[in-house]
Amino acid sequence: MSELPILSAILLCPLVALVITILLPESKATAIKVVNALAGLVTVGLSLVVWFQYDKTAGGYQMVEDVPWVADLGIRYTVAVDGISVVLTLLNAIVFFTGVLSMWTLQKRVKEFFAFMALLVFGVFGVFISLDIFVFFFFYEVAVLPMYPLIAIWGSTRKEYSAMKLTLFLMVGSALLFPGLIALFVESGGQTWNLVALSEPGTFSEGFQIFVYPLLYVGFGILAGMWPFHSWSPIGHVAAPTAVSMLHAGVLMKLGAFGILRIAIGVLPLGAAYWAPTFAFAATVGIVYGAFVAMRQTDFKYVIGFSSVSHMGIVLLGLNTLGVDGTNGAVFQMFAHGIMTALFFSAVGFIYDQTHDRDIRNFGGLAGQIPVATSFFIIAALCGMGVPGFASFWAELLVFIEALRVFPALGIAAIAGLIFTAAYILRVLGTAIFGPKNPKWDHLVEPTAWLTIPRIILIAVLLFFGFVPSVMLDMIGSVTGGK
Amino acid sequence: MNQPELFCPEFALLLGALLSFACTAIGTTTRVAWLVSISAALIAAGTSALALSYQGQPFDAGIYSVDAFSQVLKLGISVALAFAIAISQRQDSTRASARTEVYFVLYLSALGMMMLVSATELLTLYIALELSAYGLYILAALHKRERLGSEAAAKYILFGAAASAISLYGISLIYGATQSTYISVIASSGGSPLLIVGIVLTLAGVLYKLAAFPVHAWAPDTYQGAPHEASAFLATASKVAAVGLLLRVLSMAGGETEHLKTLLTVVAVLSMSIGNLSALFQKDFKRLLGFSAVAHAGYLLLGLLTFSELGAAAAIFYVLTYVPIVVCAFLVVAAVSQNGANPSIASLAGLYKRSPFLGLVLLVAMFGLAGIPPTPGLAGKWFLFSAVIEDGHLWLVLVAAINATISLYYYLLVIKSVYLSPPGDAPAIKLSPTYSVTAFVAVVLVMFSGFYPAPVWSMAKASASLLF
Repeated sequence: MSELPILSAILLCPLVALVITILLPESKATAIKVVNALAGLVTVGLSLVVWFQYDKTAGGYQMVEDVPWVADLGIRYTVAVDGISVVLTLLNAIVFFTGVLSMWTLQKRVKEFFAFMALLVFGVFGVFISLDIFVFFFFYEVAVLPMYPLIAIWGSTRKEYSAMKLTLFLMVGSALLFPGLIALFVESGGQTWNLVALSEPGTFSEGFQIFVYPLLYVGFGILAGMWPFHSWSPIGHVAAPTAVSMLHAGVLMKLGAFGILRIAIGVLPLGAAYWAPTFAFAATVGIVYGAFVAMRQTDFKYVIGFSSVSHMGIVLLGLNTLGVDGTNGAVFQMFAHGIMTALFFSAVGFIYDQTHDRDIRNFGGLAGQIPVATSFFIIAALCGMGVPGFASFWAELLVFIEALRVFPALGIAAIAGLIFTAAYILRVLGTAIFGPKNPKWDHLVEPTAWLTIPRIILIAVLLFFGFVPSVMLDMIGSVTGGK
Repeated sequence: MNQPELFCPEFALLLGALLSFACTAIGTTTRVAWLVSISAALIAAGTSALALSYQGQPFDAGIYSVDAFSQVLKLGISVALAFAIAISQRQDSTRASARTEVYFVLYLSALGMMMLVSATELLTLYIALELSAYGLYILAALHKRERLGSEAAAKYILFGAAASAISLYGISLIYGATQSTYISVIASSGGSPLLIVGIVLTLAGVLYKLAAFPVHAWAPDTYQGAPHEASAFLATASKVAAVGLLLRVLSMAGGETEHLKTLLTVVAVLSMSIGNLSALFQKDFKRLLGFSAVAHAGYLLLGLLTFSELGAAAAIFYVLTYVPIVVCAFLVVAAVSQNGANPSIASLAGLYKRSPFLGLVLLVAMFGLAGIPPTPGLAGKWFLFSAVIEDGHLWLVLVAAINATISLYYYLLVIKSVYLSPPGDAPAIKLSPTYSVTAFVAVVLVMFSGFYPAPVWSMAKASASLLF
């Protein structure tokens, strides 16, 4: 057990960065960026410390901090990590750090941008480590709302419409969560909001679980981009600026999946068992549909946006198998997809910043013009296809194995969806990257060494876990009980 | 009268009223009158804070009760008064001839509200209700554009007079049913149909104060047409007093709550829905806040319709934290208002550039009203919803939560105007030190109770525990 409240320290980093950012004058743009980058770096460091300090053989929740918050109502600031939170905390830290670096060239309203971004990251960290339902929801809402100004101010392509649509969709999700979450507290006797206590078998009757589970699943699922409530997600991706797309697809959508795993399935296992076939079906439709629609898109970011729907479908399918391998795969996929999408958006953002064009048909042969910049995109694309050697290969493999075992028909359909995935990715690569050169783009410049750093970090992470997946699976397996 | 010290908060307000009246009588400048008033208001707020733990019965038993319940609400009222007076420093929406008189009326009305939350006997309660209302009638009429002010006041008075008459009729029925005007006696009399009818009629006047359906229609007009500081006072102090009054009136039902519950559920759902849906189409910012107040009356009723300690505590928590949030909104209104005109949502465009601090204040206000953390709006809704679910109405929470989503749309439109639209050629806004300090205090109160709701919650809980 550590004496230092290390989890609160992680939580405080973005908050400190936020306060310093607000206090610094707008003219000190570089100082603001440095402060946030440092905060990102510190969170990466602390997350790694948490990773190594976490005792995998002991498992369970560790590094617990527990302070009463609203004592009368049984609300407590209880934070702790299990293997899954360890993984996702690291993911958030990496995306925060690389996201700040990707926005290094930002000129417009720098101060406000980083303030909102730090607030978002603060909320996400809070969600990943909270064990108290109120605290969880508090941070959840803190994380969701900064998306509105971040997209509406710094975005592109119908940004105000997209920002409003995204926010309202997510708030409808919250509207479902309100009654669902509070019902857990009341039904359990009104004593505790603690997730561990509520997860005790026998706390909730089967009828209650079946009744409340869909509220929680759909409430969180909207944020995870579940079909048929996904339509906010691609347009949100498209409109958002690079770092926000990275955070949005990389981390924020994971909050939804994480909420399903930790609260919906964790607290209501009988409800989950009852509804699993239905929601597994929706997830499979999401996988196939997302890939299918991605094939028809002409905008780089729309392709990635719909591919996110498809990839998050894999996460949801894995969760709905309710099995060890499926869950391991789903969490692994959350991590891998987070890093991969961050890389995708960072690569596309770099091209867009120079060309102000994202139409695939207007490009061609970029590989010959800016080989380094496109290589990042190609690597992300390969990872998106689930090519062995990248982290997502293992993740998808596990999910599909378990899916075939539990829902054979859906498993086959989902695997068939991979063909479309390959098709849309190869189409983009063939048209925009390896097609005939378009002389209009001869002037494009390669990223500076400084700008390649965040991307190289992301690639290194993807490759590391692609070649040594056991490191990740050991960590996740300490919760799910297998590898 | 025994134990006169129990009256400290009321005495402080009375002193303020007399001093501000003296200012008008000897004809001081508005600035002096303001200084006197704000000092007295701060003293009153401090006194109310010190008097939090007082309890006793200064008159004959059962008429006027000083207890944790009344004292917490008195603190809320005096804080709201201090904020309203601080906002009135820049009185450019008030009729020039009345600028010094405003304070005297504000004080009297606040005094009426304080007596209202302590009154436990129906005639005392009615007199306090009228005392608090007359001041507000006058305030509503003081806008410098006479037509606007007259309309605001006329609507307010007509609605108020009708509601108050119905209430009085209700009180007479209650007396007929129980042969008593003491709330404690009535509550233990064992319910009868006549008593319930009496309570329902009495509710008319109470719901009017809260701006709940079906007596809500004055709110948007009056918020729009009253001077800024009067709207601010109406939106905050009046709501606090209304919650106290409502709890007292409802406590008369004893155990016979079934029909009242049904009625209040309908009122709550309609208030929320009508308030939020109408607010979607507003262009005038103060009018939007008026409809938002109707919606919030609906949320508050959620806690009250449960007839439980948790529900009452949640409603008190909600209304106490609502005060600084709404103050933030009206402070921005008063600060950006030019020559007394009401700001439209479009005229808030680019506020972040004209005054970054004001932009932030408005962001806090909108997030607070929408229930987004780290403001206490989320905790408040969470507590209210907990009480409702404990009472077994899951669907009602769903309706309320979807309403909150709808409301987010128009709050975000305000934020959009503030943060996204270019300021055009509107000049930068220079805040007076008073406004800066007031805004800072309000924002700190909001953020503190948002991050750490426990202190306000335990106050609310302590006061609610006396009723159930």
